[in-house]
Amino acid sequence: MSKAGSAFVVFLLLLGIYLVYTGTTNPVDVIAGGVAAAVIAALSADLVVSKPSKVFDPRRWVAFVIYAVKYLTVIEARAHLDVIRRILSPSLPVDPAIVRIPYAVSDDYAITTIANSITNTPGTVVVDIDTERKYMYVHWIDAKTTEDEGARAHVSEEFENYAKLIFEG
Amino acid sequence: MVTDALTLIGQVLGCLGLVLALVGAVNDLIAAIGFVRFKNFYLRLHALTVGVIGGTFYPLIGLGTYALFCIAPPLGYYVAGVSYVTAFFVLITAPAGSHAIARGAHRAGYRPEPAREDKLAKDREEGVME
Repeated sequence: MSKAGSAFVVFLLLLGIYLVYTGTTNPVDVIAGGVAAAVIAALSADLVVSKPSKVFDPRRWVAFVIYAVKYLTVIEARAHLDVIRRILSPSLPVDPAIVRIPYAVSDDYAITTIANSITNTPGTVVVDIDTERKYMYVHWIDAKTTEDEGARAHVSEEFENYAKLIFEG
Repeated sequence: MVTDALTLIGQVLGCLGLVLALVGAVNDLIAAIGFVRFKNFYLRLHALTVGVIGGTFYPLIGLGTYALFCIAPPLGYYVAGVSYVTAFFVLITAPAGSHAIARGAHRAGYRPEPAREDKLAKDREEGVME
């Protein structure tokens, strides 16, 4: 059951991407996309989805939409303006450091979401990650603090809270 | 009357899309300036992010929105779909590339200079991080 559920989730995702990408609902496209999606889903379902019931939990989707909107508007705009100001300012004001940021999630998707969110915000780049001790090493263009918990509060706490709501459990 | 209002909304959204594309062009230019002005690999990665998200992701979203509302349907849907899907994949795959080259550079011994602190190098020296 779980395997069929996983395959169904992957199938829906792939078919959705295919139909949005082609931009048509021709029977030919729907059938071709459906067959391709079904084959790939049957082959890769185990690797991609482990608990398909999580996908159909509306609370996770609400958290995801809130996070996506907030991240892509407010957080990105603020970070872009900050780095653009540094690039264009004549004195080039940077104070970089590689800080160590602890995280407390264990789901692979949640870890990836946090790392991608950090890197996609200008001003912070994840350099390396230690999944055993649960630390991310982050290059920060303007290190306000080099303490672990202080850096976490500045850089990743918000991402982590949403990643927990969306993917954990 | 209703169709008029919808056309107007569509045109406003199309214009917003074009504005996003223009903002993206400016972001790309600033990212290029940042590439020249920053003298350190890790600092250049931050300029790179401005170019990827501000200079690629947002213009693609804008282009998709413009195509959706201002280009006649069959072609418009096609362009919009390609733009949105490409934007989505840029958003989730670009950081993977950044992670890989940053990790590779640090493992190869390239250190961030200047830097207040480098906890990764410190942890590697102490042996707690491979």
